[in-house]
Amino acid sequence: MRVTLQEDLDTLQASLLEEGELVLRALRGALNALREADAELADEVIAFDDEVDQRYLEVEQAIEALLARQTPVAVDLRLVLAMLHINLHLERMADYCVTIAKLTKLVAGLEPDSRMIQAFEEMGSRAEEMIKVALEAFVDRDVDEASSLVDLDELIDRANRRVVRQVLELDPELSEWGVRMLLVSRCLERIGDHAVDIGEQVAYLVTAEFREFTDASHPVQGP
Amino acid sequence: MTQEDPVTQTDTMVNVAPIEIAQRRERPQSTAARETVFDIQNLSVSYGKAPAIKDVSFEIYHNRVTAIIGPSGCGKSTFIRTLNRMNDLVPSAKVEGEVLYHGVDLYAPKVDPVQVRRRIGMVFQKPNPFPKSIYDNVAWGLRVLGMKDNMDDRVQHALEQAALWDDVRHRLKKSALGLSGGQQQRLCIARALAVEPEVLLMDEPASALDPIATSRIEDLMHELKNEYTIVVVTHNMQQAARVADMTAFFGLEVLADKSRTGILVEYAETDKIFTQPADKRTEDYVTGRFG
Repeated sequence: MRVTLQEDLDTLQASLLEEGELVLRALRGALNALREADAELADEVIAFDDEVDQRYLEVEQAIEALLARQTPVAVDLRLVLAMLHINLHLERMADYCVTIAKLTKLVAGLEPDSRMIQAFEEMGSRAEEMIKVALEAFVDRDVDEASSLVDLDELIDRANRRVVRQVLELDPELSEWGVRMLLVSRCLERIGDHAVDIGEQVAYLVTAEFREFTDASHPVQGP
Repeated sequence: MTQEDPVTQTDTMVNVAPIEIAQRRERPQSTAARETVFDIQNLSVSYGKAPAIKDVSFEIYHNRVTAIIGPSGCGKSTFIRTLNRMNDLVPSAKVEGEVLYHGVDLYAPKVDPVQVRRRIGMVFQKPNPFPKSIYDNVAWGLRVLGMKDNMDDRVQHALEQAALWDDVRHRLKKSALGLSGGQQQRLCIARALAVEPEVLLMDEPASALDPIATSRIEDLMHELKNEYTIVVVTHNMQQAARVADMTAFFGLEVLADKSRTGILVEYAETDKIFTQPADKRTEDYVTGRFG
């Protein structure tokens, strides 16, 4: 039994899950700032990203050291590679939270559309759920749970497309606000995509085969 | 990766597709045809009543490095020694099954062990040069086998192949015992290559060497496989991962009488053994979770 290697892997996984918790806090902060048009909270979300970045860097460096010193193979190697990817996906999610916070500041003083604000709350909740499902699937090494992210992602994607239609229908005086909100919607949709990508890493870890759950460049055509 | 284009996608265009395998990362497989050098069939070897390996069957391919890995006592060295009848020198050794070399059973009565060892050379764990000059070490096998034409050229060629020529060209008549450990091992490789074998068997060839000398031996194996078929026994799994094209994992099996014997657990491309081993025992061994 390679005790040191196992301890290093356990520590890395724990760090990654803590990073996931930070991302969930950032997302909740960004959603609250958007709903309440709270520029101060938006600033806090932007500043908070340093903590996520710090954790990202720690995980990255720990993986580099582990690869150099422990030369993991087989399932251990797949776990390290999966954690390398998951780390990056979490960091990108946090970056989208920052973008949402910046957009919130940009629309300060503009009249919002309350119906769309409600839609973002719903999209955000789905994104939060997807992050939790992705991390649970990782902890449990559960391919079925990871695969369920595809259906959850479809719901966010539909909501994103509805936002596009709603913005096109907005009164002209709301158009600047609407254009900014298109980007917010896109950020939430991308967070969902990164959660699906984490699910794909879980499937790779368990099955030793990398597969994309869905292929955006070769979508299955409907009837 | 997973992306949506919000401009072009509409609800009606998208079905929630069943999860499909959209893309597999296929591992590159060698497309070159494999030529079998050794076809080992149901090979069992015992020393007296003690079984060393049992029922081993697999093929070893031309111009490949094949590594034999496994825990102590699993019969790695016993196995490699059957490939050139070195076990003939152990009176109690009993070999059952077949070792077909290009279709010829090496243990058939008419087969001359000397000819076998000429075609299938061997390098051992500890460098074992003769207490003679560097030149005479390499020329020794040539003289024994009567390959006396172009002796100087043959010696030089063997030393060049073993990446030793530049180190020793000006001191060929000096004692081989004055060389460093790594140089002595390369001299033993040159000695084995001089008689123009097809196969080179290496039993822990770098385990007595420092990391730099080890690296040179590994580089050498990489070059030599273009002309030779190499079978290497190693305790060092990372060495197997670095140098071998194919890897055979030998494990231990407890028999009904409580005695233990070596068995072949898994044989596959090295890449597969170290990334997706098919057998749990292999995975436990390569990841260090045995014992």
